[in-house]
Amino acid sequence: MIDKTLAQRSAGAVLECEVNGRKIAIETPPARRLLSILRDDLGLTGTKRSCEIGRCGACMVLIDGKPRNSCLTMAYQCSGRSITTIEGLADEERLHPVQECFLEEGGYQCGYCTPGMIVSVKALLDDTPDPTMEQIEEALTGNLCRCTGYGGILRSVARAIERGGEAT
Amino acid sequence: MLLNRSTSRDRWRVRPDGPGKVTGKLAYLTDMTAPNMLHGMVLRSPHPHARIVSIQTEKAMAMAGVHAVLTYADVPGLNRFGIAHPDHPVFCEDRVRFVGDAVAAVAADTPELAAEALKRIEVVYEPLPVVDDPELALRDDAPRLHEQGNVLHSNDYAFGDLEAAFAACAHIVEETYVTPRQMHVYMETEGGLFVPEENGRLTVYSPTQHGFMDRMQLARILNRPEADIRVVSSPIGGSFGGKDELNVQPYGALLALACGRPVKLHNSRFESVRAGLKRHPMRIAMRTGADASGKLLAHQARIVSDAGPYSTLSAEVLNFAVEHVLGPYRYGAAEVKSVSVFTNNGMSGEFRGFGGNQAIFALEGQLDRLAGKLGMDPWELRRLNLRKPEDPGPFGQPIVPTDGARQVWEALLESRLWRERSSPSAEARPREPWRKIGYGAAFVMHGSGLGVGIPDPAGGRLALAADGKIEAAFGYEEFGQGLIASLEQMLVESYGFGPGDLRIVIGDTDVVPDSGSSTASRATSMMWKSLRRLHGPFTERLLGAAAEALGREARTLRIGEGGIRSLESGELLLSYGDLARAASEPIVCETSFSFPASPVERVGSHYLYTYCSVAVKAEVDTRTGRVRVLDQFHAVAAGPVVNPQGFLGQIEGGSGMALGFALTEDAVMEKGVYLTRNLDTYLIPTIAELSGTFEVLPIEELPEGDEHGPRGIGEVGSVGLAPAIAQAVYDATGKRASKLPIDPELLQERFRAE
Repeated sequence: MIDKTLAQRSAGAVLECEVNGRKIAIETPPARRLLSILRDDLGLTGTKRSCEIGRCGACMVLIDGKPRNSCLTMAYQCSGRSITTIEGLADEERLHPVQECFLEEGGYQCGYCTPGMIVSVKALLDDTPDPTMEQIEEALTGNLCRCTGYGGILRSVARAIERGGEAT
Repeated sequence: MLLNRSTSRDRWRVRPDGPGKVTGKLAYLTDMTAPNMLHGMVLRSPHPHARIVSIQTEKAMAMAGVHAVLTYADVPGLNRFGIAHPDHPVFCEDRVRFVGDAVAAVAADTPELAAEALKRIEVVYEPLPVVDDPELALRDDAPRLHEQGNVLHSNDYAFGDLEAAFAACAHIVEETYVTPRQMHVYMETEGGLFVPEENGRLTVYSPTQHGFMDRMQLARILNRPEADIRVVSSPIGGSFGGKDELNVQPYGALLALACGRPVKLHNSRFESVRAGLKRHPMRIAMRTGADASGKLLAHQARIVSDAGPYSTLSAEVLNFAVEHVLGPYRYGAAEVKSVSVFTNNGMSGEFRGFGGNQAIFALEGQLDRLAGKLGMDPWELRRLNLRKPEDPGPFGQPIVPTDGARQVWEALLESRLWRERSSPSAEARPREPWRKIGYGAAFVMHGSGLGVGIPDPAGGRLALAADGKIEAAFGYEEFGQGLIASLEQMLVESYGFGPGDLRIVIGDTDVVPDSGSSTASRATSMMWKSLRRLHGPFTERLLGAAAEALGREARTLRIGEGGIRSLESGELLLSYGDLARAASEPIVCETSFSFPASPVERVGSHYLYTYCSVAVKAEVDTRTGRVRVLDQFHAVAAGPVVNPQGFLGQIEGGSGMALGFALTEDAVMEKGVYLTRNLDTYLIPTIAELSGTFEVLPIEELPEGDEHGPRGIGEVGSVGLAPAIAQAVYDATGKRASKLPIDPELLQERFRAE
């Protein structure tokens, strides 16, 4: 027997969290996917929709600094958390160093996987500034790219490591 | 010189579309929304083959929030699409022929409502026998999928006395090669936004590789003049051939017009899998013989290609395969028979490499096997039989002569990787006994352009816009290859404009000229040629107007960054903005021509070719049977490198696809139903599979007087690696893989504790 009050109870649910440094409060069902909230409710379309089963990483965001597939994250799991999307990496004046490295090395082609890829690279380097190749592979196998063959991505990561997080 | 950032020096440029891509600010067409927008979805057949008994849409239509439910009865024009031969139903009338076949479409307030409405459309089917094997489909007793039967297209080619040639052979190898149903896996699935405009026109924002082709096909379906439709088609989140044919566009267009409101569609991944194109699975049986010295005397091939239920470009892909199973070698006699067959499997169609991938995997496999029989080095066997620059093409047709074949053959021999093969150092050998290392190489000769018999228009337009921008307008599409960057680079390097002087306009049928399709490795070559043709007239017009405005002689001026400059001092004399204001009439130059074609009748013959050699070092773990590619070398003879970053990216990226083709990728079907539904079971290479060494050597030299400039490089990277891997696996294990992806079980070995 379906408990119809569940839907009613969730109807007025409010998600309060931080997105790219700004506090937000939006009315949304607790089980709504973060991917939809970002793209459809907040207009943050830099986070991409692709496989929707957490396999491709195109929808990767940071939740309290950790990379998470937003397609597998529900609204209630974001309550009180700090979420960073690709739009939140650069400040007004300049790009994040990882973004600059991708630009310079050509670590992208069609660009559809790029936001998620850059988010994952940032998370890796924040956690491990000088990763081994195994650590790079481990951190980025969840981000699929169909265009580059990963050559440009690996060069972008190498350059970002070289810079030690500093844009020069 | 190997191609990389440091050897490219200041020719390595940041792409103009880069900032939008690394910041997430670039809006893809599937990111777009519009006020008052509805969500569209398509009801597809659950059966690979069935008769439609009835379709009832009333219950779906009665739902609050559902605004349209459409079936075949609602198509005002031709209820069919297909680039070459329109036989793919927009909506099926009385029969479905694959699990992607569309029966109805809905538009609703939300995607959830649209999905619910699909469930309430009542379709009664009467299942029919499923034809899931092209060989069985060819039998007389097979159910006929179309009135003309199950043969979509066949194409034979022969020369010489084959029987006598085989009789004279000292060695003959026979093998059947089987290739998988490879999926494009563009990261952005099909979709778009469809907007009925107040003036009665329709704007289609949806990725495609040829906006004007979509416009023509949509006009035919909607029964409207082409001028009433605007197709905006870039940027695109990957295509690889897969978005060249119509996909969601007919449904979006019909729904938007039916509702009088904007409608958005964006396929889920499974929707993309079931409805989208795949690379043609082919069975290629080959018999090839040589004399005792290794000279090829006889070559015979039979190709059976699984087209799926409708035509799209299956005939053209087959023609390409026929040409490329002959390839760069000279034979005493040869015979190719081929057939593309309708089945109830998924749709096959255009995919990077266009039938060359399957053909060349088989052909190169034959050379490797024959070398084994001859006890000869496989690369030497290729040299012995390789075409000479002045030799005719694979169909005996005249082709533009280059020395590319010899050049890439030699480049491979001299490569670091191939020299390592001859004398592997201690660290190149694995320590554990179950790890085995092998080296392999393959040769690729790949045609570009659509070939004889298909209209292949090209061209573009340069203008000085009213706001002083130099506007370059081309009907090509940006799906990631770096087309915008290449165009900018050519305008900067060969005209002397600054990047800030330029406005590049592509991907919008309202404002670009028809430059033909962005397919067949043709777009960069055609932009190069267009700019070369426009160089004289456009420069002359700019300088003439500037001379008038400045009261100086045109011959004392030149174009440059920021505006018109003094030829002598380089001093900036007149900005492009001031020139635009001063000019008495608009300065616009346009060119149109066709992709060069061989002067023969044979449909599909090519005229321009790119040559590649690929060497690979691979490691086989004989416990798991898994193959790991450690090192790759690619020599590419394709004329001048227009855009170093783009060139490297095309070869690296193409090669990544070839790795998947060789080792992991197959969209598995059983009895016409996809077992593969998403990227959890369809495995494209990850960064861990592609972290090995990679070298690209471009060979830019062309014969003196060559007027064709840069050759195509968009597809070649995706071709040669698979046969090279198969040979490396043989070199490592002594086992021949003739079926792709290579089954790990084939390579597993039993170990006993010592």
